[in-house]
Amino acid sequence: MLKRVSILFFAALVVLQSCKNEPEEKNPATFNVVFKTSWLGGNFLMEEVYYDAFNNRVRIDKFDSYYAMLTLVKEDGSELVLQDFLRLNHVSENRLSFVVPDGVYTQFRFGIGIPRDYNKDQDPAQYPSSNPLSVAGSQGMFWSWNTGYIFSKLEGKADTTGVEGTSLLIPVAIHAGDDSSYREVESNEFNLKMEAGVARDIVIDIRMDKILGYDNSNGIDIATEAITHTSTNPELAEKFMNNFKEAIIISQ
Amino acid sequence: MKFLISGCLLFLLFACGNNSEFRDEAVLIRVPARFPAVKYPQDNEPSKLRILLGRKLFYDNRLSAEDNLNCGSCHVLSAAFTDGRATSIGMHGFSGRRNAPTLANLAWSPRLMMEGGVPSLETQVLAPLHDSLEMGTNMMVAVDKLNADSEMRSLAEAAYGRDSIDPFVITRALAAFQRTFMSGDSRYDRYKQGMTTELNENEIRGMELFFSERTTCGSCHPDVFMTDHSYYNVGLYEEYVDHGKERATGKPEDIGKFKTPTLRNIALTAPYMHNGSIWSLEEVVTFFNSGGHSHANKDPRVRPLNLNEQEQKDLVAFLQSLTDWNFVQNKQLLPLVK
Repeated sequence: MLKRVSILFFAALVVLQSCKNEPEEKNPATFNVVFKTSWLGGNFLMEEVYYDAFNNRVRIDKFDSYYAMLTLVKEDGSELVLQDFLRLNHVSENRLSFVVPDGVYTQFRFGIGIPRDYNKDQDPAQYPSSNPLSVAGSQGMFWSWNTGYIFSKLEGKADTTGVEGTSLLIPVAIHAGDDSSYREVESNEFNLKMEAGVARDIVIDIRMDKILGYDNSNGIDIATEAITHTSTNPELAEKFMNNFKEAIIISQ
Repeated sequence: MKFLISGCLLFLLFACGNNSEFRDEAVLIRVPARFPAVKYPQDNEPSKLRILLGRKLFYDNRLSAEDNLNCGSCHVLSAAFTDGRATSIGMHGFSGRRNAPTLANLAWSPRLMMEGGVPSLETQVLAPLHDSLEMGTNMMVAVDKLNADSEMRSLAEAAYGRDSIDPFVITRALAAFQRTFMSGDSRYDRYKQGMTTELNENEIRGMELFFSERTTCGSCHPDVFMTDHSYYNVGLYEEYVDHGKERATGKPEDIGKFKTPTLRNIALTAPYMHNGSIWSLEEVVTFFNSGGHSHANKDPRVRPLNLNEQEQKDLVAFLQSLTDWNFVQNKQLLPLVK
């Protein structure tokens, strides 16, 4: 009996000792990326009517975009790809959380669209449904007759009279894709110290007014250029993607 | 040890149990004489069950939005997988934009669609399914409908090792079936293999004219596929409503260019041209003899040919000799009889 008690006592001692030596568990560092949309500094609302730079009344009903290779770069130059592909419909604010290793990060970057190697002549059926590039994930964002992804789709209606109360009858459909439409966005004035237990946010503000070219010589006048499927009006698609890149402000 | 043996037996029972009704095996598909070997995609080598599943899907209405159309609605075997209409009728009875092309010999086609925008038969499957003027469905809706069918699920598992029907299975199986649409047994083919009595005098004269420098028909429609798989503007119009290849490239020099159709089984695939605007072979020959309309992108080989009436008849006779009756009566390409 005494022998048994001794064995149990020593076993309990070993267990207690090993627990004591285990390092204190800390929450990992969390990096949050928030995508939001705005119009002239205020919140942007889908299906709301706005005046653009040309005094057209514009209502955006859909704004769907692909983003690629969300990457953090450490001060030693090493890169951490947080997410390869992402599709957002921008109906509301989108918040993404990533667990990242401790360290100082000096750059955050991502692409708008799909990089060349994953775009033209690729087969969406090769991906599982959970992948944004799959048949399920790319619904409405894939040209099946001319194999390739639609990088960004902006759809709505407009009225070019500028008169309040007039029906919005002009269709707006800007579908930008093709390899040349891919744009890279990077935040260089960036210093993010990540350490265990700490959560940090960055906000990616997409200024919808700038996409249509407010305060910009590349303004898109809906009265004269409202529709492109990229190949049907490559100049408009290019202007749209350039404006899209310029419209992004990244803040910590 | 006893547990190990029991576990193994249980595993074997499960492994066999799912698909006892379907047993797959590789198949060797014989290509027509003089045709090159087919390069099959690594993830879609032909097998008995893959082709069977593709055959079922090709004639399955669940691949359309209203469950009333299937691939075979616009691609009818007796018409060499065309439908005899200028443009096909799709969802809600809407008329499509283009003439349904034949599906013969697509196993060798480097790119699909009349503007060449699609790189493989597998990927091409998505185009008619998603087109609102064709089957007009959403692939994922079709997937849900097919997954409610236990037989189709079992077949998918046995053919592709997937536990359910998904876009991968649908695109691969339909492509596997379509790669069996091989046509190379016309009287012209037999003549080329040395059976010289297969063509009559008119047809031989037509053939010689067809492949001559004078007409240059054979430069865009060369043997054995009777297409060079390239894209040309043949001067059908001075102004094109459908811009053809330019739709995909955005390049003005591609306006009016369409993929060269194969002339195999051409006598069965009327009407002709990308929009089905010419209703007989005689009229097609008349059109090319005239040299077509002016267009900046027109291929220089399309020019007035000055063929006399007999020469035009000879050309038509040759084109009619390209019909492969064994192909259009091949029961393996028809819907399965229940």
